[in-house]
Amino acid sequence: MRVTDKMAQTQVLNNIQKNRSELAQLQNQAATGKKLATPSDDPMGTTKVLSNRTDLKNSEQFEKNIFSAKMFLDTTEATLSQLGEAIIRSKELALQGASDTVGDTQRSMIGSEIGQIYNSVLEMSNRRIGERYLFGGFKTQATPFNRDGEYQGDDGEMKIQNQQGNFVAMNLTGDRVFLGRAIGKDDYIRQPEAVPLSTDQLQEYKLSEAEREFQNNQKLADRIETRGPASVGHVQTLGKVDPVTGGAGVNIFSLIRSLDVALKTNDKLAIQDALEPLDQALNQISLVRAEIGGRVNQLSVTGDALQKSIIDNKTVTSQIEDADMFQTMSNLTKTDTTLKGTLETSSRMLNNSLLNFLK
Amino acid sequence: MAKIHGLLDIGRRGMAVSQTALTTTSHNIANKSTEGFSRQRVDVMTNPAIGDGNKRVGTGSRLSGVNRTNNPWIERQIEREGSNLAFLEGRSGALQRLESTFNEQSVKGLNNSMTEFFNGFRELANNPESLTTRTVVRDNANALVKNFQDMDRQIVTVTNELNSVIATGVKEVNAHSKEIATLNEKIHSLEITGAIANDERDRRDLLVKKLSEKIDISYSEDSTSGMINITAGKTGVLVTGTSSSELKTTNNENNQTQVMYEMSAGGTRSDITEQFKRGALGGAIELRDGMVAGLRDDLSDLSYNIASEVNKAHLEGFDRYSKQAVNFFELPQDGTFAIENLKVNDAINSDVGRIAAAARPNAPGDNTTANVIHSLQFKPVMGEERTFTFDNFYNSKVGEVGVMSQKSQANLESQKSILDQIKNVREGVSGVSLDEEAQKMIEFQKSYEASARVIRMADEMFDTVLNLKRL
Repeated sequence: MRVTDKMAQTQVLNNIQKNRSELAQLQNQAATGKKLATPSDDPMGTTKVLSNRTDLKNSEQFEKNIFSAKMFLDTTEATLSQLGEAIIRSKELALQGASDTVGDTQRSMIGSEIGQIYNSVLEMSNRRIGERYLFGGFKTQATPFNRDGEYQGDDGEMKIQNQQGNFVAMNLTGDRVFLGRAIGKDDYIRQPEAVPLSTDQLQEYKLSEAEREFQNNQKLADRIETRGPASVGHVQTLGKVDPVTGGAGVNIFSLIRSLDVALKTNDKLAIQDALEPLDQALNQISLVRAEIGGRVNQLSVTGDALQKSIIDNKTVTSQIEDADMFQTMSNLTKTDTTLKGTLETSSRMLNNSLLNFLK
Repeated sequence: MAKIHGLLDIGRRGMAVSQTALTTTSHNIANKSTEGFSRQRVDVMTNPAIGDGNKRVGTGSRLSGVNRTNNPWIERQIEREGSNLAFLEGRSGALQRLESTFNEQSVKGLNNSMTEFFNGFRELANNPESLTTRTVVRDNANALVKNFQDMDRQIVTVTNELNSVIATGVKEVNAHSKEIATLNEKIHSLEITGAIANDERDRRDLLVKKLSEKIDISYSEDSTSGMINITAGKTGVLVTGTSSSELKTTNNENNQTQVMYEMSAGGTRSDITEQFKRGALGGAIELRDGMVAGLRDDLSDLSYNIASEVNKAHLEGFDRYSKQAVNFFELPQDGTFAIENLKVNDAINSDVGRIAAAARPNAPGDNTTANVIHSLQFKPVMGEERTFTFDNFYNSKVGEVGVMSQKSQANLESQKSILDQIKNVREGVSGVSLDEEAQKMIEFQKSYEASARVIRMADEMFDTVLNLKRL
């Protein structure tokens, strides 16, 4: 084969360039610690890394969601625990008041403590976390209950996403906790469990919500609770649909109020009447507290799963995009040696010519 | 019997032949690095012998011609493969640019800001009453819009870059075809005498290769005149004999530079852009009208769909003031949408209270609409069958660009080595070897000296003859 000077030169140049570009790439890998610098280094890997990053960010957001929902639920739970204690205290007082051994002065003293309990229950029902009322449903910016224990809020449940496609309600509405509405067998129509996920579903949701609200209002209007002294002694029974109110739960406010009135009016029978509903009220609170426990539990489980998936996600991403440092370093040394070799042989090769010997 | 003065003649001609050979050797050495040069050889032949009874006595050598060592078949191969290489090179630069637009390995890009946009709504769902979360939603939305616009601008930059490749390419083509026409004329006038215009042919071969590196050409040599005719693409006649015509460029309504051919100077123009499939221009045109234009449309689709889906859901909601919500993004509904016009509604920009999180009025804690909006992230709405989520769609585009760039780099490498190999073959045939030329130099220098000795010997012979009487 006829080898000309240009051939030798091109070959030398190509070899040096090849070594240098390899060296530059390895150097970049060593400096950044990543073997994936551009999408073309591994297109499939890049796509995977991108979707992993989205998943990671979402998981981190879901963790934040869970944290905020948990905080809300924990505060609610703490309030309900106090509420439970208040009911137990009321029960103790009612038992004392129902006894034949107490006189009317003592009853009215007990009555004034019950009056204080009424106030503290009212305070609990209007408790806030930050700027938001716990028990107002969607109406988080206005006091849910007025002095008479009338509910001003709505039945909205704030649904928080804890994982893709799954939502957990973070609040309990005051009408359920304090008025016993929508507890047990009840003809009250509650908000649907499913959360609308698309615009079409949102439109349907809005229609069904309007329909639901109308029907609920209709029922409330039909069975308006009578008030005044005549009905004060009247108490609801848990588990059975009350023929007048249509409810199956206990209205805690009217219960304590009636107890208060009974004590103050020295009405022993009415006091005795209040004993069973007080137990039922306690049951009612336990029921919603169990619900909270269930939700917190669900949040904890998904939270743990999220943490695990975050670690897995990071591991997979690292496997795809991170350089194997040992390999990179050993390759770097290898390529460096090759380059030195190329340079040395090149200088010898290019200096040889017949002309050197013609002197 | 041969005459003594015949010897003088042989010596003289021998010196002349050696001198010419040395000149050619020097020419080769001097042009060792000249692009497209083919080494030249002096062809020497014997002078006609003279009869001498039953013997024929030689009368020395004479020059038959100076030829270049060149294999036209290899030259044609180089022209072909060079054109293919230029095609790949024409794309690879722009592809890398395009790739860096879609590269999120080093910087935060669209994927990131899309996620943040939807997570903003998740944060809003956590706390719809808060002004802070609303501000975050607005800022994330503005960042998303800006990111879309940045990417769009970068794609436009790539288009412009490819346009300028085409425009400058056409200028070079015109310069080359003009020079080829001039060379045609020169070669024709030189070769009519029977000589071979070696250097002019080398130069013309080189120009044809350069032309082919830019555009598709077809050419043929007229065997009688030695002139070549060149056609660009299928219909653009560039060189016919000694005349050449120019290609023109013009920008169409999509800001794409098109190549135009004039049938006659100032006559009707026809668009021959589509005819170029090879060379740097072919590569630039294919990339610009294919992938780059496609990606820009896809990006526009993606931004439009995000904006319109979010708008649709947002319009169903109620804002902080219990008013029916406004559009979240300002979107033209008459099909004149362009990414640069996309923006967050001014009403929302000036008052984040207009962002709707609720599905009913008078419910500041209601997050139903915010839940619907962030759920759009997982809703398949992109693609013809509406089977891709926004993320899927965008990620698949990044993958597409990556695959394209990866393939193009691999092809470029292998094409480079193919061309290098053929160029090596050409160098083996036509290249100058200094060792060889040095050896020739000694050879002809010695021949020159020996021929001079022949003359001196003849001179001495004359002397001998003239001095015969004196002896």
